[in-house]
Amino acid sequence: MTRYILKRVIGLIPILFGVSLLTFTLINLVPGDPVQVYLRIAEMLPTPELVAKVRAEMGLDKPIHLRYFDWLTQVIQLDFGKSYISKKPVWDEIIYYFPATIQLTLMAMVLILFISLPVGIFSALYKDSIFDQISRVLSFLGASMPSYWLGILLIYLFSMQLNLLPTQGHGTVLHLILPALTLALGHSSTYTRLLRTSILENLNQYHVLYARARGLRERLVVSRHILKNSLIPIITAFGMSFGHMVAGSVIVESVFSWPGIGRYCVASIFSRDYPVIQAYVLIMAVVFILCNLLVDIVYHLLDPKMMEEL
Amino acid sequence: MRRLRYIVLILSLVLACFVLSGCGNEEAKTENKDSLTFSWSKDIGDLNPHLYGTNQMFAQAMVYEPLVKYGENGKIEPCLAESWQISPDGREYTFKLRHGVKFSDGTDFNAKAVKMNFDAVLANKDRHAWLELINQIADTQAIDDYTFKITFKNAYYPALQELALIRPLRFLAAAGFPDNGNTAEAIKKPIGTGPWVLSEYKKDQYAVFVRNEHYWGNKPKLEKVTVKVIPDSEATVLALEKGEIDLIYGSGLISLDAFKQIKDAGEYEAQLSAPGSTRVLAINSNKGPTKDLKVRQALEYGVDKEAIVAGIFYDTEDKADTLFAPNFPYCNLNLKPYQYNLNKAGELLTEAGWNLPAGKEYREKDGQILELDLCFTSTDTTQKALAELLQGEYKKIGIKVKIIGEEEQAFYDRQKNGNFHLIFNETWGVPYDPHSFISSMRQPSHADYQAQLGLSMKKEIDKKIGEVLISNDEKARQQLYSYILGTLHEQAVYLPISHTKNIAVYNKKLANVKFLPSSYEIPLELMEIK
Repeated sequence: MTRYILKRVIGLIPILFGVSLLTFTLINLVPGDPVQVYLRIAEMLPTPELVAKVRAEMGLDKPIHLRYFDWLTQVIQLDFGKSYISKKPVWDEIIYYFPATIQLTLMAMVLILFISLPVGIFSALYKDSIFDQISRVLSFLGASMPSYWLGILLIYLFSMQLNLLPTQGHGTVLHLILPALTLALGHSSTYTRLLRTSILENLNQYHVLYARARGLRERLVVSRHILKNSLIPIITAFGMSFGHMVAGSVIVESVFSWPGIGRYCVASIFSRDYPVIQAYVLIMAVVFILCNLLVDIVYHLLDPKMMEEL
Repeated sequence: MRRLRYIVLILSLVLACFVLSGCGNEEAKTENKDSLTFSWSKDIGDLNPHLYGTNQMFAQAMVYEPLVKYGENGKIEPCLAESWQISPDGREYTFKLRHGVKFSDGTDFNAKAVKMNFDAVLANKDRHAWLELINQIADTQAIDDYTFKITFKNAYYPALQELALIRPLRFLAAAGFPDNGNTAEAIKKPIGTGPWVLSEYKKDQYAVFVRNEHYWGNKPKLEKVTVKVIPDSEATVLALEKGEIDLIYGSGLISLDAFKQIKDAGEYEAQLSAPGSTRVLAINSNKGPTKDLKVRQALEYGVDKEAIVAGIFYDTEDKADTLFAPNFPYCNLNLKPYQYNLNKAGELLTEAGWNLPAGKEYREKDGQILELDLCFTSTDTTQKALAELLQGEYKKIGIKVKIIGEEEQAFYDRQKNGNFHLIFNETWGVPYDPHSFISSMRQPSHADYQAQLGLSMKKEIDKKIGEVLISNDEKARQQLYSYILGTLHEQAVYLPISHTKNIAVYNKKLANVKFLPSSYEIPLELMEIK
């Protein structure tokens, strides 16, 4: 097991290398000169001399392959450079914004589990019941509702009408609930449906039939023989969702004034803050890969057959 | 055993959330009678008095003060300078500084501090090249502890107006300077003479200001002011209704229909300031069909501004007929407005050779359709609504308008390169209009320069702009302004739409919410809680 994990972690290196090369090339292809953007934001007049001076300061006067090489040497020493706009070290800024987003995502994951597991199981076991019908309608609603609107509706219901929670801000657990719920609801809908389908498929398997034939209690049949097998596809999707939620929480962050990395990154894209964008993409790649690894490990724990392959 | 493992997993996830949320500092929730919370859409920035960009002007103005203030009707009033003398040739300004002023760290404000700040700003001249004042300063001198002299290259008349600006010439205490003295990079700590002191700050979350106990003027009535960063406009309104914030003040923070709703509901106070800057479309005299004066004039006649003001601005903005409102200094010129007149617009287009072929929607000349690019920032909902409305309006007179919405940088690249027929623009309002704004018309990177480039008299206009800024004679100055603004009006390179206003929406427990002449400052020191 340890060897497997080690192997996967080493496998990270070429992937990160590829990701960084791709990002570096792509952002340099995006129209909009970072020097001009900087001068506009700093309200400086873009005279040719000043443009040249700032370009040299940013190191953008060198050819792209040299710049990539310089950047890579820095990154290997865990130095992500300085933001063009704030002039502060990128790493410090990311460390400032990242925990809030992780916190939001973790809470959302917990909520997804609490919502989609019971709903998915009951919808499958009582297929075509009223409960199943209602959960189907709600799932479609949840999956198709834009998070911006959902967020505002939740604020309206829980903060304005019921006066239970704050509308926005960051700090206490109370502040966390609404944004996490907004982030979770859309995903929960998907998982509920996914789990339901997966359970229904397993219900018709022979091992379930045999388990029942052995006279096992229904609760045991469901938990040991159906649920465990049904969870495998869910876990794969779950791992990917984590990455998606970390990288895609920008709308929720801005509705709830959540000081997360999504808002920071989108602002950096608009201001062509190359060092920030590069660091962000690299970190997101690490998050995705680690989630994937975690999913694989959980897989193996769930399925002894796969354990043997290691 | 296995089930236990899952339970442990879930519990540890929940725990992780709580631990992480513990990391975030708990916001002090005070229902204090002496404190006020308001919202702003962006982080306040570094509070560097000598820089722009991410530094929010209202926050800089809370902490730092100028030598002189811009008062009602453009009258210059004393602030950190008690009095000043201008030499007869208009080149030397001698300021007598106010005695007994202290920075918030308790150190004295004196000529040495003024000199130190001027030197820091002048050391980064290229950063401030947009501001003619900086280019005109020849020398500065601290004559004694409370006397400071500035010598200008020419008799630059808007010197006092530009010294009153929020940036770059306000004063940081010596202890706030970085070790190398270069404030263009960073400052150590925001220490000013203003009524407020920053006491707590969480980037992109909130900033808390407390009353400056050393303040020389009338001390603020409130003890504490909290600025919450709320980027979303709907969320801002909800936060007000929930009572999490007491005040929304500024422009563009909430949608105008939300403003109207709040105002009509009557549960909160809702006020509008006097007109500030002007929303205009720059019409490019150097590109395609709009090179022709008649086409530009037709565009002016073809817009029903009253319908725009009612339909898009819900009457929260005033219709604009000229680039600057007549109440601005030197701007009361009795220029004849272009009244909405579709027939006249059509005639002008026909005269210009653009005819409407039978059975077609758009006018043509030599087989070419009359098509114009109207460019806007895609994230700006007001610009978008205006662009769509204008597209419909101009269709009535046979002009095909292509509306191009792009992200900010692409939009500004178009302004800079002159790659537009019509593009949104806005004047700068008090205290920049008209002098700083017309001064910037000479910069090739501005849409104004590009739009005017096709005028046969562009050289003359630029020359007169240079002259008016250093004219020492009131009458000559008025004549020059009349020429510049009159010519731009006749040549129809600007299509004024409306005059913007600041809004203030607030809880009824708040009193003394006022507007200042400068639309960039918020007079928090006057506000109190009933």
